[in-house]
Amino acid sequence: MYTRGVSALRDLTLHIGKGEFVFLTGPSGAGKTTLLRLLLRQEVPSSGHLVVGGRSLSKMSASQVQAYRRTVGFVFQDFKLIPSKTVFENITFVPRVLGQDIAAQRRKAFQVLKWVGLQHRLNAFPEELSGGEQQRVAVARALINDPALVLADEPTGNLDPDLALEIMNLFRDINARGTTVLVATHDRELIRRVGKRTISLEQGRLAEVS
Amino acid sequence: MRLLGFALDEAARSVWRRRGASLMAVLAAGASLFVLGLLLLAATATAGLLARWTEAAEISVFLRDDVTAEARAAIEQALDRSDLVAQRAYVSSDEALRRFASQFPDLAASAALETNPLPASYDVRLRPERARDPAVDDLVASLRTLAGVSDVQYDRHWIDRLLTAVATIRTAGAMLAIVLVLAACLTITAVVRLALHARLAEIEIMQLVGAPLAYIRGPFVLEGTLLGLGGAVLALLALWAGFLAARGHLAAWADSLAAGGAAVGFLPLWAILTLAAGGAVIGCLGGLLGARAAR
Repeated sequence: MYTRGVSALRDLTLHIGKGEFVFLTGPSGAGKTTLLRLLLRQEVPSSGHLVVGGRSLSKMSASQVQAYRRTVGFVFQDFKLIPSKTVFENITFVPRVLGQDIAAQRRKAFQVLKWVGLQHRLNAFPEELSGGEQQRVAVARALINDPALVLADEPTGNLDPDLALEIMNLFRDINARGTTVLVATHDRELIRRVGKRTISLEQGRLAEVS
Repeated sequence: MRLLGFALDEAARSVWRRRGASLMAVLAAGASLFVLGLLLLAATATAGLLARWTEAAEISVFLRDDVTAEARAAIEQALDRSDLVAQRAYVSSDEALRRFASQFPDLAASAALETNPLPASYDVRLRPERARDPAVDDLVASLRTLAGVSDVQYDRHWIDRLLTAVATIRTAGAMLAIVLVLAACLTITAVVRLALHARLAEIEIMQLVGAPLAYIRGPFVLEGTLLGLGGAVLALLALWAGFLAARGHLAAWADSLAAGGAAVGFLPLWAILTLAAGGAVIGCLGGLLGARAAR
């Protein structure tokens, strides 16, 4: 709920199955980003429940939130890469701050970089990469921790249609490995080309499920 | 160990990236610790001198010219009975004149005395640990009442005044050091906060991936600690350089004051370690305050 008393989301009941690929669409202000923020536990609903993997997100302690977030990967429209770190450092940053083994970090980083096709750019800095490459780094970073759920907020918003489809294919591959993927986008054409279940929101309400 | 390695790596990079601001923080911490070190140096040096002066505190019991042997025996008995007295020595009138002549040869020569005006006396050395005991006043008062005693002088009062003055100066210095330490702590806090604002993107990612709070705040706390420690090292180097430059003058000054030479040394090891640890603690506090905003 916003401070003016307006609800960002209301009367919303939906279920996303484990291993499913779902698009979340709707015009600007429909509540897509709010739903993703709720799922990332950056926000807490003023009423209602969000349950992920059997755990209620509203009733988590700080340490439980940390543990939950370690099972979620995220990708944003603006990539959120650290400009002062190389591609390799950006990716290994996640396992580093989680205190994981260094050898395992490096092995996994090479693995995900190869998977997104950027193994030849590991020493490049984000500013030396194209938008598509930067987003692939962001996807690799989201995958390094083997998340059960990947959330993407307008991941193709800054990319041309061909690069956008390339990124969507990466998400499809992620999903094919059993990871639940929820992508928020207002690009109807992209949704049509990928062809997955789509939840449409409008003014914070469920408008359509197709 | 991984946390320490991560925090050290990130803190060192951050210090280097903002080296201008970091240098300011190191200088601020260094200045406050330099003042603190100077106080410690002065305290250890004056403690030695004051101890020597206190140990050397004597009671002089001057005798009347017509003092009888019985009266002298009674005075000696009174001194020997007192547990405050470590040693007593009779100084005859002739001995007193000889001492005067050796200490002030020009004055003695020009005076060309026909008769010896100096009285015989007892030099009474007090036990060092009892030299500032209030019971000494009672002893002095009782000696004054004895037959054959013309005067009793005791130089404790000026030592007391000196000790009070030294204590006042120390308190004022300590207060100044506290103000400077607070200023240094706040400077480090400001620098750490700058570092935090420059790394908001990293902090957001750490929060989103569920990094423990220790990993989020650790680098900033360690950055503050490094800055404080840097300030301490700088202060110690400056103190050492200043001490080397002034050692000759200090030795001469101490020698003139202590009449017999008091050793002038640099800070003892405990003080050096205290200053280094103090710098680290100031920095750590500054880092903790600065990192509070990162949750």
